[in-house]
Amino acid sequence: MATATQEIEKKKETESDQTVDFMSGNEAAALAANQINYHVMGYYPITPSTEIAEYLDEMGANGEHNVNMVPADGEHGAAGICYGATTAGGRVFNATSANGLLFAIEQLPVQSGTRFPMVLNVVCRSVSGPLDIRGDHSDVMSVLNMGWIILMAKDPQAVYDMNIMAVKIGELQDVRLPVIVASDGFFTSHQKRKIQHFTEKKTISDFVGEFQATVTSVDPANPVTIGPYMNDPDQINNKKQLSLAMDAAYAAIPKVFKEYEKISGRRYNVVETYRMEDAEAAMFILNSAADTAMEAVDALRESGKKVGVVYATVIRPFPSREIAAALGKAKVVLVADRADSYGANGGSMTHEVKAALKDEPDNRTLVMSRIYGLGGKDFFREDGITMLELALEAARKGKVDVPYDYIGITPGDPAYKPEQVFKPITKEEATPNIISVAKDEKTGKLTVKGVRQRDLTAMPRRIVQGHGACPGCGIFPNIGTFLKGISGHVVMLWHTGCGMVVTTGYPFTSFRITYIHNLFQNGAATLSGVVEMYKERQRRGEIPKDQDITFVMVTGDGGLDIGLGPALGTAFRNHNLIIIEYDNEGYMNTGNQLSFTTPLGHATSTSNVGSVGKGKKFHHKDSAQLFAAAHIPYVFTATDVHYKDLITKAAKAQYYAKHEGMAFGKLLSVCPLNWRYNDKDGQAVAGAAVDTCFFPLYEVERGITTLNYNPEEKGKKLPVEEWLKMMAKTKHILKPDNKHILQEFQREVDRRWNRIKALSEHPLL
Amino acid sequence: MHSENYKELPKVNKSGFFEIRMESIGGFGANLAGKILGEAGVLGMGYNGSNFSSYGSEKKGSPVKAFVRLCAPDKEVRVNSPVTEPHILVIFHEEMVRSVSVTQGVGKDSVVVFSTGKSPEEARDYLKLHGGTIHCVDAMKIAVEENTRVNTALLGAICKVSGFIDPDVVKDMIKKNLGKKYSFLIEPNLKTFDRGYNEGVSKYFEPDGKYPLIPFSREGQKTGYFNQNIGGVITTPGNSATKDLSASRSGWVPVLDRSVCTSCGECDITCPDYVMVWGEEKDEKGKERRTLLKYNYQYCKGCLRCVEICKFHALTAAKEYEVDKKIIQDGFTRSK
Repeated sequence: MATATQEIEKKKETESDQTVDFMSGNEAAALAANQINYHVMGYYPITPSTEIAEYLDEMGANGEHNVNMVPADGEHGAAGICYGATTAGGRVFNATSANGLLFAIEQLPVQSGTRFPMVLNVVCRSVSGPLDIRGDHSDVMSVLNMGWIILMAKDPQAVYDMNIMAVKIGELQDVRLPVIVASDGFFTSHQKRKIQHFTEKKTISDFVGEFQATVTSVDPANPVTIGPYMNDPDQINNKKQLSLAMDAAYAAIPKVFKEYEKISGRRYNVVETYRMEDAEAAMFILNSAADTAMEAVDALRESGKKVGVVYATVIRPFPSREIAAALGKAKVVLVADRADSYGANGGSMTHEVKAALKDEPDNRTLVMSRIYGLGGKDFFREDGITMLELALEAARKGKVDVPYDYIGITPGDPAYKPEQVFKPITKEEATPNIISVAKDEKTGKLTVKGVRQRDLTAMPRRIVQGHGACPGCGIFPNIGTFLKGISGHVVMLWHTGCGMVVTTGYPFTSFRITYIHNLFQNGAATLSGVVEMYKERQRRGEIPKDQDITFVMVTGDGGLDIGLGPALGTAFRNHNLIIIEYDNEGYMNTGNQLSFTTPLGHATSTSNVGSVGKGKKFHHKDSAQLFAAAHIPYVFTATDVHYKDLITKAAKAQYYAKHEGMAFGKLLSVCPLNWRYNDKDGQAVAGAAVDTCFFPLYEVERGITTLNYNPEEKGKKLPVEEWLKMMAKTKHILKPDNKHILQEFQREVDRRWNRIKALSEHPLL
Repeated sequence: MHSENYKELPKVNKSGFFEIRMESIGGFGANLAGKILGEAGVLGMGYNGSNFSSYGSEKKGSPVKAFVRLCAPDKEVRVNSPVTEPHILVIFHEEMVRSVSVTQGVGKDSVVVFSTGKSPEEARDYLKLHGGTIHCVDAMKIAVEENTRVNTALLGAICKVSGFIDPDVVKDMIKKNLGKKYSFLIEPNLKTFDRGYNEGVSKYFEPDGKYPLIPFSREGQKTGYFNQNIGGVITTPGNSATKDLSASRSGWVPVLDRSVCTSCGECDITCPDYVMVWGEEKDEKGKERRTLLKYNYQYCKGCLRCVEICKFHALTAAKEYEVDKKIIQDGFTRSK
């Protein structure tokens, strides 16, 4: 096997053919992955990294690569898919951001500790909560100690280049480590710049070479045990090996950079300096803001100020020597961190730069720390000037007055009193006594009376006007109508998703009642905690025993992919609460990626249609049946088009949640934007989904299934194409070439429909 | 290595950029318009440059911004922050002015491309513009007539006022972006582009002191670390009801005819935006009944689901620019 040095010795003499393009960082990452032709990408969408999987899927749908793209159930699952795939002996790719990275975090040391290289793009974004989708470094700074190499890509060109070099670096035989390529969410991921990329894939395959596995999990002739149970005295030695691998990477990276320069003409150094020759005051800053900082340096240099900028393109292994050399002559360096290390009086880079300087015995450079740009706050040239002037001032004084502070914060107006628009809804207002629910003691079933939509307009809206949903959104007719059937006080928890984002953009809320958000891995568990605390405090007499609250969790179908475990756990514990799933058949909040409920063949941004791609490759998840199998008292399906049925079921769900335990409802919720039909046609589209029996309306009451609407009996049953032809996302399925998909979909719809019908007909089921 | 379409930029700011800012509504296509302009400038005409949008979790119907920067081919692009003092400001929707401070940083050397049926004189007063050139083009009307989107009409207008962006290069980029997949949209879009290019009216206004210059500002937040509730809690339930969502409409509104309305309540079920205003009125037997009084157009996004569901034809879809403004205005109440 070739050593690192020997591999690097294979030099290319001339630059290769390149094409000029205008691309964002995410496009550049996807293009690199396409050209590398990874074996497998395991992924889960999260803004702002999602586009990488989307672009790659689109290219795959048009036959441009053979990357096997596996949609996971969450980032933790995605990391698992990637891990498994790396053990099986091929090249593996992933992309994530923010809480996605943190959700996957326990898998990161598994990947590095068992020494399987792969490439993960971290498109840096602020970590929740409160939820923030824009760019800072709080995610990547949380994984400094996971044993991964971390490359920093400041612009789309660097994203492309680093993605190619990452493969080479991680796979070196004396390195064998997974590599993160970190770029700035939105600032780089969504900004189009002029870039150059290799015209021929061969240039890249020649550069990275064939994948060479050390061991594989799929070679029966060479059985291996991957991931043994390893305590002391052995694990410390495994970690020493990892540390040595980082040393090897530190030695190899500059060589790989040089080798890449030969084919690309683009030079990278582990530490880059700008106008540092005689700089008295300097800034250390990472990624896209380093560019802006250079503009600030130019502005100050014009008035004769001796300032400069230093940034690193690699932060693991941390290039201490190069950083000390670059900054050592400056009187003051201001380290600008786009993530705080709360309580440490400076972000992680501050402390690492300080440590690097401290290692030089004669160094006298003063270090100050400023936290900037959190939550995606824009970094202007003027901010850079402010920071450099702070450093200059300290250089003049020979001391740092304020070693650690935030830049770009707002105190707020102390005289400001936010306007109270509504008074809280009283129990009486929310109990107009229009609907009544009674239990038939003989059958044990509930009877609901008084579902009159005209009278129910008197029910105060718990969710009010002014939310920012798209025109024609199906979520709000569904949830609004559901709430008409719920009397009295309500507390809601919403999972991350369209419904949550459009209702609670700070400082506004559309909720007139108490509302909680938690990330969609965990909403059901969170509401379980709320309910149990409420009951415990009632038991202890801290809350009046006669105060009645109905607890409702709302999730999208996406939140029931990533959050299915805790939701089923909540069902198994049978808490007194209701879970409502608005099912719009995809991850609409992040831009229409496939979810497990996306039906077969439907086009999404990760199940593209092209010369090869024919939409989603597997059938839709049936969450109502999953919850029925948990034997909770009440499960139902409904949609706002059949609104009397929906309101009736809401009233029943409330009864069961109060008296017996958990209720689950799945509501079909149209999405004109991503199903691609005219906004006004939502009711017709949802109606057809019901009439084709794709979405049967039924309930499972204490284990007994009742079909509430049978289009067959009414002579209304439609073939699935009558529904599919209404939406641009499914029109391709009706083409003669895709007849097999249409037939397979019809077969599955019929099979599930007949099964529900049979359950409904049987007295015990 | 200049492209044959290359021309010296007519003006640049201190950093060397010609800058465009688009103030728009999600779904109107500002992001795509920015991409097309950027591609036209960089790939078609040989400038260096960048293009990006203001991103939040904006949905269709919410305010968004798109930015384009162009500079000399040998200049490096190192700025990532939004455009603060645009050479060309594009306003995609009249109603946006109510909720967004769109004219920040616009000075006498700027050109404002405004999607409106107003004259430049009316537009200047409507925008309270300090000075500069206003170029009015009724992009919404063109888009409704051609069954396209306002972005293409505005691209035409931007080319016209820029004085250097080659309309043929932009048209090539429009074709490229629609591609084979949407080839049936190419012809109506090119026609929309030409109409946008030709149908605008420009007028320069001297800064005569009638309205103040509005500088770019990052201030104006009323809450901060001093008075923001700990943990980000919001203690003003339902305050989104103070928002005006009129700008989310893309040309169409439902109009209610109370004389045939039975107050059945189905529109209230189907409306995603909870637009209907209800009250109690006595029926012919003297009994108090829930009655649909009016629409609150402050929240209506014009999806027209209500028009589709109404069995009694009490609701019709109308082109907003043809509807008596009083009907829209009278709907404006804030339900408490």
